Order: sequence, then C-alpha cells, then structure tokens
Amino acid sequence: MSIQIPRSQTSSPDESSVVSPRRYSLLDLLQPLLLLAPAGIWLLLLLVLPTLLIVELSLVPGIRPGDVVIPRGIDNYIRILDPLYLRVLGRSLFFAVSTTIICLLLGFPIAYWLAQMAPKRWQNLLLIAFVLPLWTSSLLRCYAWITILRPTGLLNTVLTSFGLPSLDVLNSTFAVIIGMTYSLLPYMVLILYASLEKLDRRLLEAAADLGAHPAQAFWKVTVPQTFTAIAVGSFLVFISGLGDFINPELLGGASSMTVARLIYNQFLGATQNWGFGSALSTILILAVSIAIALIIKFGGATPTR
Amino acid sequence: MTGKLMSNRRRFLQSAIAFSSLSLTVGGGCGWKLADVRASSSTGGTSRDQLDIYTWTQYINPELLKTFTAQTGIKVVASFYDSNEVMLARLQAGGGGSYSIVYPSDYMVQKMVAKGLVTRLNHQRLVGLENLFPRFQNPTYDPDNSYSIPYSWGTTGLIYNSEILKNPPQDWEYLWQNKELLYKRMTLLNDVREVMGAALRMLGYSYNSKNEAEIKQAYEKLKELKGAIAAFETDAWRNQIVAGDLILAMCYSSDGVKISQENPKLKYVIPKSGSSLWTDTVVILQTAPNPEGAYSWLNFILQPEVAAKTSQVLTIATPNRAAYEQLPKKIQINTELFPPENLLQKCESIAPLGTTEEIYNRYWTELTSS
Repeated sequence: MSIQIPRSQTSSPDESSVVSPRRYSLLDLLQPLLLLAPAGIWLLLLLVLPTLLIVELSLVPGIRPGDVVIPRGIDNYIRILDPLYLRVLGRSLFFAVSTTIICLLLGFPIAYWLAQMAPKRWQNLLLIAFVLPLWTSSLLRCYAWITILRPTGLLNTVLTSFGLPSLDVLNSTFAVIIGMTYSLLPYMVLILYASLEKLDRRLLEAAADLGAHPAQAFWKVTVPQTFTAIAVGSFLVFISGLGDFINPELLGGASSMTVARLIYNQFLGATQNWGFGSALSTILILAVSIAIALIIKFGGATPTR
Repeated sequence: MTGKLMSNRRRFLQSAIAFSSLSLTVGGGCGWKLADVRASSSTGGTSRDQLDIYTWTQYINPELLKTFTAQTGIKVVASFYDSNEVMLARLQAGGGGSYSIVYPSDYMVQKMVAKGLVTRLNHQRLVGLENLFPRFQNPTYDPDNSYSIPYSWGTTGLIYNSEILKNPPQDWEYLWQNKELLYKRMTLLNDVREVMGAALRMLGYSYNSKNEAEIKQAYEKLKELKGAIAAFETDAWRNQIVAGDLILAMCYSSDGVKISQENPKLKYVIPKSGSSLWTDTVVILQTAPNPEGAYSWLNFILQPEVAAKTSQVLTIATPNRAAYEQLPKKIQINTELFPPENLLQKCESIAPLGTTEEIYNRYWTELTSS
C-alpha cells in the first residue's frame, strides 16, 4: 500500500507565487478581458438582461403582450401573498424538499456501495448504468412511470398476480415524488460518489481502533468528510425540483398546480397576465439564488468534527 | 416617435417570453420545452413555391398535401401547436415570421383580428365560399368571414366505456350523480373555459357568463366533483381510456368520434343540456411571406372534394355543404359528428371575456391547487 499525503486544506497559491515587480502593460490588462468576453457577452445578453426585463415586467400590474411597460409598483408581488398562491408555492416547496430528502436517503447508500464496496472492475460500468437514464428525455421517463403506475399498469399487474390488492398511485402526490426522485437521483449519486470515492478508509480504521462503534464512525468520520458533497447534491436536487414542470404535470393528477405551471398559465394561458407571471418568476429566481448562495457558503466550508 | 418607442417596448416583452424558458432552465433543469419548442421546424420560407403552415397536430394529412403540391407546385412545410394560446404567444413573440397560414379557433380569430395579426380576405380571390352551410356564412366570431374561412367544427362532450357504464351518461349531471362509480376514473379537459363552462351550462347559465355569482356557483359545483377527478387532461386520456384505466373522459368531438370508431366499446355523447360548439378556421397572417400561396391553400381546402376527403380522414365535421353532400350516407347520419339541429341550438361558442377571464383563471387555480 502506497502512502498518500493527506489532502491539505490550507495550502493556497498566494503563499507560493512570487509577485514580480514589473509594471503591467496594456496587453496584460486586456488579456483577461478578451478571454472573458465571449462568456461575458453571452451571460449579459442571455441571462442578466432578460432577468432585468423580467424584474421590470413584474413591476407592471396586469401587463399583457402589446401593452407599454411602465413600472408602477409591487401589486404583482402583493398578489402572490394571497393564500391561494402561497399554497401553490408551498406545494412546489414540498415537492422539492421531500424529493431532496428521499434522494439523499436513497442516494447515499448507493453511492457508498458504488465507491467503496462494489468490485473495482465493475465500478465504471455500474456508474454508467446508473447514469444511463439521464441520456433519455425526461418526458420519456415520465411516460414510463405512467405505464408502470396506471391502474392497469405494470405495478398493479404484478401486485394482483401475487393476490395483493391493486394500488391507485398514478395521479397522486406520491406519484409526483416517485417521478421526481427517479429523475434527480442520478445527480445526487454522481456527486456523492465523487466524494465517497476519495474517502480515506484509514481514518475509519483508526476510529475503530480507538473504540468507535461503526455508527459513531459513520457520523463522526464519513459524514463530515463528505459533508460538502451532501450539501451540493441536496441543493442541486432541491433547485431542480423547485422548478420541475413535467413530473407534477403528468403524474400529479387533478391537484398538481405548482409554481412552474402557474407561471406557464400566466404566459400561455388565456389571461396572458405577463406581469404576474414575471413576479412569480422573480420569486422563483430569488429562491434558487438563495439556494445557490447556500451552496457556495457550505460548498467551501471546512469539515468540522 | 411614440410608435418607435412602443415597438421597442414590445421588443422588451418579446424577449421576456424567451426568457421565461431560461428562468426555468435555471430553476428546473427539465420541463419548459414541452409546450414551447414543439412548433419550430420553419425554414426561410420566403420563396413562392413554399408555403409555411402553422396548425394543429392532427390537421395535416400527407395525402392531401401531395394533392395540393400536384395541383399548384407549392411545397407545404407544416409546424404544429397544441393550443391557441401557445400559437398566439409564439406569433406575439415574433416567432411566426415564416408562416403564411394559421388555424385559430373561433374565439382566437376575434383576438387575432383585434390585435391586427391577420389579413382581411379578398373574397374576389376565393372560389366556393357560397358552398358553406348558411350558419357558417356569417359566424358571430367573424361576420361575413371577413378574416377567416371555417375549416372544421365540432362539440365538446363525453367519451365513456360502454362495457362498464351500462346506464350511459346523457347529461353533465351524470358526473355528479355517479361520482363514486367514476371515482378517479374520469378526466376533464385541461381548459378553464371548457370545464367551468360545462358546470355553468349544467346550472342553466351561459358558457360565457360574466356574472360573478354564477361563476362562483359553477366553481363550487366543480369543487364537489374535484375529489373524483383523476386529472385534467386534453390529450393523455386517449391511451388510458383505451387501456381501461379510465371509464369516462371529457373530450372534443374530433378526438371522441375518432377513438369511438376505432374502439367499439367506447362511445361519444354530447350532453343533452348542450355543450360548447367550436369552429377551427384558416387565416392568412398579416406577415405572410407567401400570400399568393396562402390564397391557393384557401381555395384548395374550399374545394368540395378536398373538404369531403378531409372530413373523412380527419373525422371532423365539415362546414362545407357541397362537401357534406359528397360524404357517404353512413357519415352524414352520424349524430356524433353532425348533431341534430335541436341539440346544436343548445350549444354555445366560447367567446373572449376580457378581464372577466381573470376571475375564471383564479377559480381554476383554486380548483387545481386544493
């Protein structure tokens, strides 16, 4: 067994690089600008500018296509506080949070097994097999679930052939969470796998030597070492779940109004209330931004014991 | 000056819709493309021998296209949408530049005319308008057919599995009376006005009620039924009712009649107290790159032989009397496709309601989120 130098958290490039005393030329100043320009212009035109437009639109109560945009106040945001729309936001939040928790509970053991216990030569193949569903369209995956869950579908055919009562899963909250978990689990597993693969098992051995129960070792050694990956994976699943459109729409049945669908209705429904739709979009963007800010905060955190 | 400013503002709005998909890409990863991107297979389309048509998925038949190309030498490129609103939003967002022909429904013709999106038709250049049934000569949504030509019409009704429902539905009330039997085995259309309208009709009101108390009453009625509804679906019910997962679905006659012909156990019925009556039309866009070709297309679909053929292959009711007379007797007497006059009298077309639609929309959100 070769001895590895433990990864150091403290070494930073600032200490080792020597600042040269020469003066900066114009080229030195332009170079980074030139390198950043393509991506910068892209982001400015397609992300920053449209976001600002959305925010501007959200400040016009009841604007419809063809109207003149004159920001007039926050009526659209006040309208969101209506219990009806809060309930819709709450449902989206509920779908996202429960999917995140289930993905973590299911994903961690899978990633652990793949990274630490699966035979080395199968590892890559197993990983590919796990990610394979991502190569198909999410719509297709959703239809596959409809085929499985519908009253005369695969699930009930199997259940009844064993003499068990059939289940009414399609068109329920449960079906939405199944669909979303299935869609997002691979992301969670991939992120956890990357982290668990690097897990230093000698620390676990040391913990056992020092009398730690396996459960204690798991909580005090494994979890802190992979905390960053857990946080990043969870937020990624949460963000994707919050704006999910297909799964609630196709699997959720009659009570599946989510914020994504509500926004869709404002833009492509009969009323065409783009102002209200923009306000809802802004709230969603804000929620996602907060989640991303949390990733940045926790993603860079040093594991604590 | 103000005009310029307006158009700049409009462009702001146009980029906003493009953005709405972006915001969801940030937020959702998957999803938005479902309804949005379907309608994009347009190529330049400015040449005279190409005609770009923007239409409903089920309205294009390859055989008819071949006939048109053989007659006129014009190649047809078709793109598809699945709701009037998606089509309108795309045109308003500036994505319809290559299309010459669009197929809006009745109420959408009114909206598009008001927005100045469609051309006033030159009747001198049209052949066979006089063949239309009298009631399509001067429709309320477009007096004198100044902007549109009716293409097909139909009703909204119920399709049901006659092997399970021995006592078949005859009216909207059936849904409420049998909600235990139909529990989670029925779907209603994913359309505010159709569903609210059916409830209004059942209560004896108009599909186009602007009376808040009536609309509220219709909502309360639907709330009673809500628990028994599996989903609000416009398309997905088809496979499920054929497979036996559903017993009953609210649907458009164009779908209902076709599917009941393919599956003898399924039957389509128009509720006794009346339902909504819809007409799909053909219009020429103001921005049409090929207006000549567009007129050729209108004249093509007005030909009785073509209209009769269309009616048969697409199982839609034709507004063209000369075409109707060419149909086989069996189709002519099909009351699902051509309902008797006394029933048609009870049906109504859905009309735009301006700001009252917000009230409908709110109740709809309430209904689908409880």
